[in-house]
Formats: sequence, C-alpha cells, structure tokens
Amino acid sequence: MIVIVWQLVIALFRPHVSLLPPPVLAAGEFWTLFASGELFVHTGTSLARVFSAWIITGAIAIPLGLAMGWSHRFEQIADPFVEIFRPISPLAWIPLAILWFGIGEAGKVFVVCVATFFPTLLSTIAGVKRIDPVLIHAGQVLGCTDQPSLLRKVIFPAALPGIVVGLRISFGTGWAAIIAAELVAARSGLGYLIANGMEILRADKVLVGMAMIGALGVCFDAFFRFLNRRFAWSEA
Amino acid sequence: MIGSSKPLSVRGITKTYQSKTGAPVEALQPIDLEIAASEFLVIVGPSGCGKSTLLNILAGFGEPSGGEARVGDARITGPDIDRGMVFQSYALFPWLSVVSNVEFGLERKGVPKRERRQLAIDYLRMVGLEDFAERGINELSGGMKQRVAIARAFAPQPSIIFMDEPFGALDALTRRFLQRQLLRIWQQHRKTVVFVTHSVPEAIMLADRIVIMTARPGRIRKISAVDLPHPRDATSDRFRDCERELYAELDEELTRSLEVEASDLIV
Repeated sequence: MIVIVWQLVIALFRPHVSLLPPPVLAAGEFWTLFASGELFVHTGTSLARVFSAWIITGAIAIPLGLAMGWSHRFEQIADPFVEIFRPISPLAWIPLAILWFGIGEAGKVFVVCVATFFPTLLSTIAGVKRIDPVLIHAGQVLGCTDQPSLLRKVIFPAALPGIVVGLRISFGTGWAAIIAAELVAARSGLGYLIANGMEILRADKVLVGMAMIGALGVCFDAFFRFLNRRFAWSEA
Repeated sequence: MIGSSKPLSVRGITKTYQSKTGAPVEALQPIDLEIAASEFLVIVGPSGCGKSTLLNILAGFGEPSGGEARVGDARITGPDIDRGMVFQSYALFPWLSVVSNVEFGLERKGVPKRERRQLAIDYLRMVGLEDFAERGINELSGGMKQRVAIARAFAPQPSIIFMDEPFGALDALTRRFLQRQLLRIWQQHRKTVVFVTHSVPEAIMLADRIVIMTARPGRIRKISAVDLPHPRDATSDRFRDCERELYAELDEELTRSLEVEASDLIV
C-alpha cells in the first residue's frame, strides 16, 4: 500500500531522486547497507544506547515509583519535582547533554534516561496505587508486618503489571529520543544514518533509516506485549 | 500440627470517626466481649452497624478510639500472623499459584521449603483442592477461591481466625457447601473463630454464640447461645425457632438503622 502511494507520488510530482527516490532504489540501498553490515552497526549502536539507558532508568524510577506510590508523605515531597520536570521534552535536554557530556555515549544515554524516566515512574506509581487494599491486609495477617517484607512480597508483585506497562511505553519513548539525540550529535546510530543521508543529499539512506526505526519499534512493542502476557499476571 | 487456639477478650472498645463535615460520628459504643478458646462466635447486625469496623480493629488494621482487645495475654496493636483473616473478596495473591498462596504464611514463619510445600498440600486437601495446587488463581471459581483462602488462613496455625462475610459473594448452594466444610475444619482444628455475616441461617448453622449488634452507633444488643448439636438441620423446628427469634431481634434494629440513615439524609 505504502509502496503504491510512494510510486504514485513519484509518477505525479516527479521529485528529484535526491529528495524522494523510487522504492526500487531505496530497496537497493537497503541491500547495500545490509550487506556491508553498516546497517547492523548503526542499529546495534542505537539499541545499545537505549537498552543501557532503559536499565539505568528502571533501577532508579521503579524503586522511586514504589516509594511514591506507597508513602503518601514521600509522594507529597517528591511530586512537585516530578511535575516541574515532566513537561520538559527529553529533546530539550539534548543541548545540556552535549554541554555536560560532549558527543560521547554518555550524553545520548542521558537523553534516553530522561525520556524513559517519567513513563516508568508514573506507571509504577499508578501500579502501586491501584493495588486492592485488601491484598495489603492479607499480606499483613500472613506475616508481612514490617514495611520491607510487605514491599517485597506484596506491593512489588501486585504493582508488577503496571511496572511492565511502564517499561514497554518507556522503551518506545526512549527509542524515539535516541534518534533525535543522534540526529543532533553523533557519529553512529540510526539517527546519524538519517542525518548523514540528509547532509549528502541521499534520501534513500534517510528512508532506509526510517524504515529500520519503524520496524524495530513495532518488533519491540510486540515483544514487550508478549512478555507482559507471559510474565506479568493480569486480572483477566 | 494443629497448634493452639486462644481466647479473645474485648474490653470497652469504641470507635469514633470524623465525618466529612467534621462532626464526630460514633461507629462503636463500648463493646465488651469474652470469646473462649476454640469458640465459634458469629456477629450479626444491620449493615452499617460497625461489625466490620469491629473486626478490622480486632485484626489490627484499625486503631480503636478507646478500649483494648487481647488475644490470650497479648494486646492487639497491629496485624499479626497469629491472627488469621478470611476476606469477603478472597484477597488471594493473583501472581502466585494456588499452593504458593497457601505457602505464603508458612514461608513467613520460616518453615523450610520442602516441609512447607507438603503442609500446603495437606491444607489444600483439607478443602478438597489438592488437585488444583499448581493452578492460577484466576482459573478458579469464587467458591474455590474462598476455599483456598480458608486453607491459606489456617495453614500458619494462628490462634484465632477472623472471617468478614466470607461467603457473602457466593451463591446459596456453594454457600451451604462451604459452611459445612468450614464447620468440619473448625471441629478438627478447634480454632477460635469470629465470623461476621448478615445471614441469619448462616449464623445459626455455624455459631456457638451469636452476637446481635444494634444499628449505629453499634453496640451489643444481645448475645445468644445456639444449643443445637452439630450437624444442624436447617429444616428442623428448633432451627426454625432460632431463626424466628433472631429475625425478630434484627428486624427491630433494621427499622432503627433505616431511621438513622433517613436522618443522615435530612441532616
């Protein structure tokens, strides 16, 4: 369908090949990048950045979210900070990231951390708040009378479906953010592939990069949905 | 493996809430109650009479405004594994299998893994669900869930078990079946049981003694012993007489509780 519309647009408007190449040419470039391994290097670099940032975020945002969802007092203290930073697009952090970390790995990981942080945090908080209080009571009369054991044995597993949703959503936002960060400041990654394609007037390279971003986004979303069904209990 | 059961004594427990307008609402007027070890005590009363409030205080989930309750010699200050509870909404942990739910309290008590599994299976056998040990909670019917919850409450061998309208959400036939099963288990284990219901036949079927609560503010209207031998026949004349008596008491309170609710609306 997309290919037909694409072909039609080319037939109607006859754009220059450097602006919109025909599908065959883009497919050829895909094959070139694929065969040379260049595509894998860029994809792998982007994925590695997103994954490391995503894990760092999870290690911070999940415990913080559990605490904020559980302790009303702690939420009142922490919530104003969250609310101030939340509306700031992760992309707005790119300049600071470059200033602080240069154009090395750290800066891009930092931007993705910002992008993945709030979805993870907010879903975790919501997951904790949705817990049926009667489950907490049940945990208490079954011996989880101190906060740490209650948190570990009841609150965390009860909030897990919400946490998994947060991780899935944040992977999506992180994936979007890494491309933006690489567009601005990088020498590798899918975002760089696109930015470089633009600079050397090679729209076919840009299209290959975009296709790869879309395809991987869909794949990972499906993968996390599968994990969600498989590992997180649900109330069905 | 049965463990001990202990008496429960309730001395002058009161509870006063702040209503939304800030005016204090008296939920419980001083409650005094002595429950013997191994006794099956049922509390009945019109809805909103504070019987669940009382049970929550006894389980340690809420602080009384005054008075105290003791299990054996220990004052109740918070929830404890020595006081089990069965909830109307089952409150099973849906992320654990049936047998892991039953093992939960045993694990918290430090029972070693293999022994724990065996004990949990034994308790599942007690409620006739040993074949469902590895199933997920969401695969079970409501009646089966409550049987798992009963096994889970008995497994850590608490001194006393509170039951908050445990069969309230079940259909009449399942209810009858579970009442008999619970009686059989109670006769074997001789735990002290405090059971809240608003079903008159259920109260008479199960109770050694029935506590009738008044409409709000809740206090004890009457305590009556049920002297029918087990197994009780719900169609016998003596059972029917008990029902008639209990309904008469409750109807009076129901009328009063409707008046209280109506006056709430006017205010």
